[in-house]
Amino acid sequence: MAIKFTVQGFLIYVTIAAYLLAFVAAVTGRRRAGQTLFVAGFLAAVISFVYRWCDVRHVPLQNLFEVFLFLGMACYPISRFCRRILSIGGQWADMLIGAVVLFPAGFVFNAEPMQLPPALQSWLFTPHVAVYMLAYIFMAKATFQAAGQLAGPGPGIEKTWLPPEQATYELIAIGFPLLTLGLVLGSWWGKLAWGNYWGWDPKELWSLASWLVYLGYFHWRYMFGRKHPATNSLWAITGMAAIIITLLWVNLSQLFPGLHSYAT
Amino acid sequence: MSRFKRAVLWAALSAVILLAALSIYGAFIGAERAQAFFNSLPLAVYWFALMALLIAGIALFRRLLQVPPLLLMHLGFIIVLVGAMWGSNGGHALARQLFGIDKIPQGQMGILEQTQENRVMPADSNSTRELPFSVRLKDFRMEYYKPGHLLIQSRTGQNWRVPAEAGQTLSLGEGLGIVTIRRVFENFRIDIQSDEPVAHDEPGGSNPALEVSIERSGTAPGKRYVFERMPGHANPNDPLSMSYSRMVRDYISDLEIVEDGKVVAAKDIEVNHPLHYGGYHFYQHSYGEDKLGEYTVLMVVSNSGLNLVYGGYLMLVAGVFWHFWSRRVLAAVRSRRMMTPETAGRDE
Repeated sequence: MAIKFTVQGFLIYVTIAAYLLAFVAAVTGRRRAGQTLFVAGFLAAVISFVYRWCDVRHVPLQNLFEVFLFLGMACYPISRFCRRILSIGGQWADMLIGAVVLFPAGFVFNAEPMQLPPALQSWLFTPHVAVYMLAYIFMAKATFQAAGQLAGPGPGIEKTWLPPEQATYELIAIGFPLLTLGLVLGSWWGKLAWGNYWGWDPKELWSLASWLVYLGYFHWRYMFGRKHPATNSLWAITGMAAIIITLLWVNLSQLFPGLHSYAT
Repeated sequence: MSRFKRAVLWAALSAVILLAALSIYGAFIGAERAQAFFNSLPLAVYWFALMALLIAGIALFRRLLQVPPLLLMHLGFIIVLVGAMWGSNGGHALARQLFGIDKIPQGQMGILEQTQENRVMPADSNSTRELPFSVRLKDFRMEYYKPGHLLIQSRTGQNWRVPAEAGQTLSLGEGLGIVTIRRVFENFRIDIQSDEPVAHDEPGGSNPALEVSIERSGTAPGKRYVFERMPGHANPNDPLSMSYSRMVRDYISDLEIVEDGKVVAAKDIEVNHPLHYGGYHFYQHSYGEDKLGEYTVLMVVSNSGLNLVYGGYLMLVAGVFWHFWSRRVLAAVRSRRMMTPETAGRDE
């Protein structure tokens, strides 16, 4: 863990601070202030992402640092989309997601700019990663809703928003097509770059496992509907656990010496 | 729902959970062993059972036939499985026995520059096989990001990185002096002129090097050459060790396909841009140099079943977006109307 004494680092810390303050404002009932701070954090995140783009001169989605920067930027528009189009609340959770994903970018991951190795020089690079990241945010939001469902009705739940079980379902229904597209684009790119559309690599297999968990969720919910809401929620939480392992596998695999991984 | 239909649904759910569990197991054993595992006989049984379940699902559940995107997704999944089976080693063996189609599933071929080759070393055997045409390597080359970097390390473990451009200068601090890059060579050569060795850049070959000067207070400026190919040529008393590193931007093989003495196809292949001819894809895989000259190593992969897999992918993606997104997103965008909690969250 190290503090980044750079312009990039400063921008990340400003964003984290804005998101955390927004979160505090939201949970203490200062809705308007929370809203303003959330937007301010988002603007800082956009500047941070554009700054990185200019710095490395390619779409900054190459390594975990850049990917988490993107996640920190995408959580605000997704939050807005969910409120306006899907009637899904829980904005405080989105502020928290933004701060949490930027934390490793600010303090853990290496921000050394890197040139793209030949395999990453493909037009599929940006859509493959971006689509996955958007899917992950929807699934993270679904997990918060699922946890809310398990926790039971609290005083904070408002009538204007969908109840947690349905909100979980709606979010997964939006995230799952993105997850599928990410998997298929990755497979297509793998064919172009390495010669095989499926390489049985640990990261591929974890991403397949997370996709399958959500596939299982849909079949389960088709079979039982809302009869077992707690089990529905557990499916969603399991899916997120698999996603986190997929995303951090390159780092986690260091815990299991001798295992094959992409970026080491 | 009848008991039989319910049983099929339970079987489908179990198949999904089992595959997720097997994938996680596969992730722990590494890619090579996972590939062997997922192509083993018990797994072949699983793949066929999964396909049978999907077909049974489509036959039994009227909903799958009545809702086009659901049908598209399930059919897409079946087609991906068929394509993957057709392209597997087993699929190739079956095609040979049933239809006399004798293709190499996957292999490698090494080709020396300015020669042609039709022998392939298959991935699953030790005896070479031949393609019905030859591949000729006109040229192999590597491109690098510019500039490269001069890497400097002090005895105390401090590191510096200087862009390898003439005129770049860096002060390393007290006692270590100022380092300046004087010249950048693509192909470093030494000539003796009037008994003095003179460095020059000779066009044609490749021996990348940097001329670096080091100025320290109290001593005469020193000059040294840093070579990309010979790192670690350092005097043990030297306080600084230097190396020259360039990052590869691309590997390119300039290929021609020769059939019956005629050139029938040509392409400069590079990573992410393979050549497709005669039922095979040719990928840039590796390269090297021996006493006969430079050579490239291509990966040769049969395209059997590939169109089915891609077609299945397209159906799967089209179906999944159609089913889950069209009502939620397109309807909302078109009508510009907010969805109410009553209409959202319906069971699919």
